[in-house]
Amino acid sequence: MKKPWPTRILKALASIKLAVFIMVGLIILIAAGTIIESRLDAEAAKKMIYDTWWMTGLMALLATSLTAVLIDRWPWKVRHVPFICAHIGILVLMLGAVLTVKFGLDGTITIPIGEDSRYIVLPGQTDILVYASFGGNGMTKLHEEAVDFFRHPPTVENPVRINSDAGTIDLIDYRKYVLPKKQVLVTDEATAGAGVRFQIQNSRVSVVEWLVQRRPEAMATHDFGPAQIHLGVAPTLGRGKNEIWLTAIGDKIHWVVYRKDADEPFAKGVTEEGGKVQTGWMGLELRILRYLPKAREEWDFDEIDHPTPLTTSAVKVRFLGKEHWLLLDDTLRLFTQTTAYMVSYLHRRIDLGFPIALKSFEMVPYEGTSKAKEYRSHVQLPGAPEEVISMNEPAKYQGLTIYQASFQNDESGKPVASVFSVNSDPGRVWKYLGALIISVGIIWLFYSRRRPKAAATTKDV
Amino acid sequence: MKHFVFLLTLIISLSGQAADLGRGLRLMPVQDNGRIKPYDTFAQETLEVVYGKKKYEERAAWEVVLTWMLAPQVWGEKELFEVRNPQIQKALGLDEHRRWFKGEEVFGNERFPELMSDLRSRRETKEKLTPYFQALQRIESQFFVFREMAEGHLLRVMPSPKGDAWLSVADLESPAREAFGDVTQKFVLLLGSISTGGLAADNASLALDQSVAHFQELVHAANTSGVQISQTGLEMELFYNDFHPFRWAYIFYLIAALCGIVGWILDKKAFSYGAWAFTIIGFLTHTFGFALRVYLAGRPPVSNMYETVVWVAWGGIFFASALELIYKPRFILLAGNLAALVALVVADTAPAVLDPSLQPLEAVLRSNYWLIVHVMTITISYAAFFLAFVLGDIALIEYIKEPAKQQPAKMKAMVQAIYRCLQIGVSFLAPGIILGGIWADYSWGRFWGWDPKETWALIVLLGYLAVLHGRLTGWIRDFGLVVCAVATFSLVIMAWYGVNFVLGAGLHSYGFGAGGVEYVSAIILAHWLLLLYVVVLQKGRTSK
Repeated sequence: MKKPWPTRILKALASIKLAVFIMVGLIILIAAGTIIESRLDAEAAKKMIYDTWWMTGLMALLATSLTAVLIDRWPWKVRHVPFICAHIGILVLMLGAVLTVKFGLDGTITIPIGEDSRYIVLPGQTDILVYASFGGNGMTKLHEEAVDFFRHPPTVENPVRINSDAGTIDLIDYRKYVLPKKQVLVTDEATAGAGVRFQIQNSRVSVVEWLVQRRPEAMATHDFGPAQIHLGVAPTLGRGKNEIWLTAIGDKIHWVVYRKDADEPFAKGVTEEGGKVQTGWMGLELRILRYLPKAREEWDFDEIDHPTPLTTSAVKVRFLGKEHWLLLDDTLRLFTQTTAYMVSYLHRRIDLGFPIALKSFEMVPYEGTSKAKEYRSHVQLPGAPEEVISMNEPAKYQGLTIYQASFQNDESGKPVASVFSVNSDPGRVWKYLGALIISVGIIWLFYSRRRPKAAATTKDV
Repeated sequence: MKHFVFLLTLIISLSGQAADLGRGLRLMPVQDNGRIKPYDTFAQETLEVVYGKKKYEERAAWEVVLTWMLAPQVWGEKELFEVRNPQIQKALGLDEHRRWFKGEEVFGNERFPELMSDLRSRRETKEKLTPYFQALQRIESQFFVFREMAEGHLLRVMPSPKGDAWLSVADLESPAREAFGDVTQKFVLLLGSISTGGLAADNASLALDQSVAHFQELVHAANTSGVQISQTGLEMELFYNDFHPFRWAYIFYLIAALCGIVGWILDKKAFSYGAWAFTIIGFLTHTFGFALRVYLAGRPPVSNMYETVVWVAWGGIFFASALELIYKPRFILLAGNLAALVALVVADTAPAVLDPSLQPLEAVLRSNYWLIVHVMTITISYAAFFLAFVLGDIALIEYIKEPAKQQPAKMKAMVQAIYRCLQIGVSFLAPGIILGGIWADYSWGRFWGWDPKETWALIVLLGYLAVLHGRLTGWIRDFGLVVCAVATFSLVIMAWYGVNFVLGAGLHSYGFGAGGVEYVSAIILAHWLLLLYVVVLQKGRTSK
């Protein structure tokens, strides 16, 4: 006798064969995820496996199957309790996971020592922002759009199009992994500043760098620790720092050296491209390798097929027939006669609504080494007493939990900023509850089945 | 227990014959790699880096390493530097059949600077280092370690008033410099008399001890920063170095396994008593060594591959003994002995892959209750799966034997034991993964993040759950369960070893190393071939 179709569907969904199929499917899928992560990175694995409809579909099927098997056992008897625990616990855990994904927040915030910040960065989520400035000081937001170029890259045929008064700004290409390098080009734009490629050296140091002004009056600086070198309008008196100023006037470069203990210039003069200047200070010799009165900086890059800590992604922008590359977390400036447009491609930032101030940061190394043994941040939150956040000792504030994640150090190994992860997780209670129920269920289940049932004798499956 | 103590004393007196020579020097506290350790440990670890072994041509590390500083030019003539990577041997134009080379052959090689600059530019790209670059990195550290040791910068012997980094031999000032000079003189005298042995050696050793004691007085006087130098700790560590508890443990397991195998072949119960006795002795030694390591490290030792291998071996014996007591078929204990034997032998013989030295922990891993609990819970489940795997192997051998000789009752018992092992494994692994989630949540605020290590633990769980469910549907019968116990263990190998050594990515990177991939893959492949063979064999039999 044939059973009615709802019963048959329920039986099919509750069948162990389906369960085994789901488990094997999950194994294959997530194993592929780990391989992608090892070849590429965690974000790629997330976008190619863990955050796909494949994964969601399989998880939904698992939830359906678990629900079906629980309904199938109805009415529940006492001997079913461990079985029900082991299976219902997974459903509770999955409910917690769904709540986390839907309503949770998980971002990171990097705060330099002695400063504060109120913006957390969400990994893997990016936005395109376009602002326009019509001559005055004001900026108008023209466009804001969440983009996922990893999954949906723009192309020439299918660009991301942003309308502006001067014509469309089109995003027409995308590269996942590029090693950026700056390129300085000659330009005829009136708004461009000067560019200088210099070498500064003595018996111990030798530095070759570009300095490029954004606008003719703007200042460009290279900081090499005890001294700075600037391209811009030199002050008439020293600023209490060791500084070398270069000022571009016509096809000549005026230079002046200040020392931190004197207001008067230590040395000054005029030079040009190819010129050599003895600064007379610490034996430093300055050479002007290249001088462009009108220069423009542009990103150039090498594309590689996998990410490294040095790679970023880039999107190609077309505006008024010209093409420019824009790197992630950077801003491209586009000019017309009347308007300046700023196109930014940024990781999504969220305003916490309050600042987190990092008062101080301590790193205790293992004795005699530079390896961190422990580190802690002294943090000030509005209206709360100063708090210490350290590894495994997070702070709670306004429903958020702030964890010590890592820290950044300078080249000498001295910490310069502390990195926190900030999150809220409404699914936490459910996950813990589900975890507890599963664990109890599994152990109880195996304990109660002293004798494994032979395959043929299991009837109630 | 009395017997055990007696045995321990016997072992120590046997193994410690020559150990008392130079004891004072070997105990001397040295600051290295973030902790205070006896000079003996320092010397072993340093020799290991340069030479790849803890002994140099039958000479103990403590005898060798200090002489690098005293006579570096002599050592320049010796084949001291281990270079095993064929690619590097080729690049340097070295003889491919040799394993050790003179310093001049390697570092004096005209291509050496080029290789080092390759390594530097590779590092600048921040790319993962391939095995070739890892091998280059080792050569760089061999060069660095030998040079620093020879120049007296590596050996840090005295607390400094200026900071927590100790003073190296080269930085010592009078009177410590003279005192240490005397130590080295007495050391040279002892070296001269060691080969002849006898009273001369004893006297030289005594003189060295006194000289070291004098130097230590200065060290204690200089130790104003309040750094604790635990004499007991140093002595315990020296004892640990000399005693090799895990080596003794596997020797006992080997004897127990031999008893088990003979008993299995001859089918005599009497041998099981011998197997039990040696298992117990081995297990006590094993536990003792584990406890000693906990004491020395100041933490449960489950933070790198070496330590988890030792722990899994322990768990294998524990579960095997428990199951053997409950079910009483003799081969469970045998399987446990074999499992522990294999694990401990691998741990003992592959120091380049499984680093036995006590390393300082990453900040995130320190003083964390959940960390310890989750790692121990997950790895102990691997012990149960390992046991099931070895039982599966034994059962496969039974299947290969003529079907006529098969005893259905024995096979049933074996299958039941395998099933039990899988259940035990799952009931540790599932809570273990969850505890890992709790730890991640507690440390990072994130319960689950698809990190490869945690993902592979989940894959193992899903794999064994699929097997257990498959058994319920009747897809997997007795023979199928045996096959699955062996086959599914490949997932454990991947989760436990492969993630660190093959995938090499993710947050759990503090456990990462390299090497041995070819051996592990060969073993897995061999098992899959064995499975294939037995499956085909079995198919042929049933179709007849």
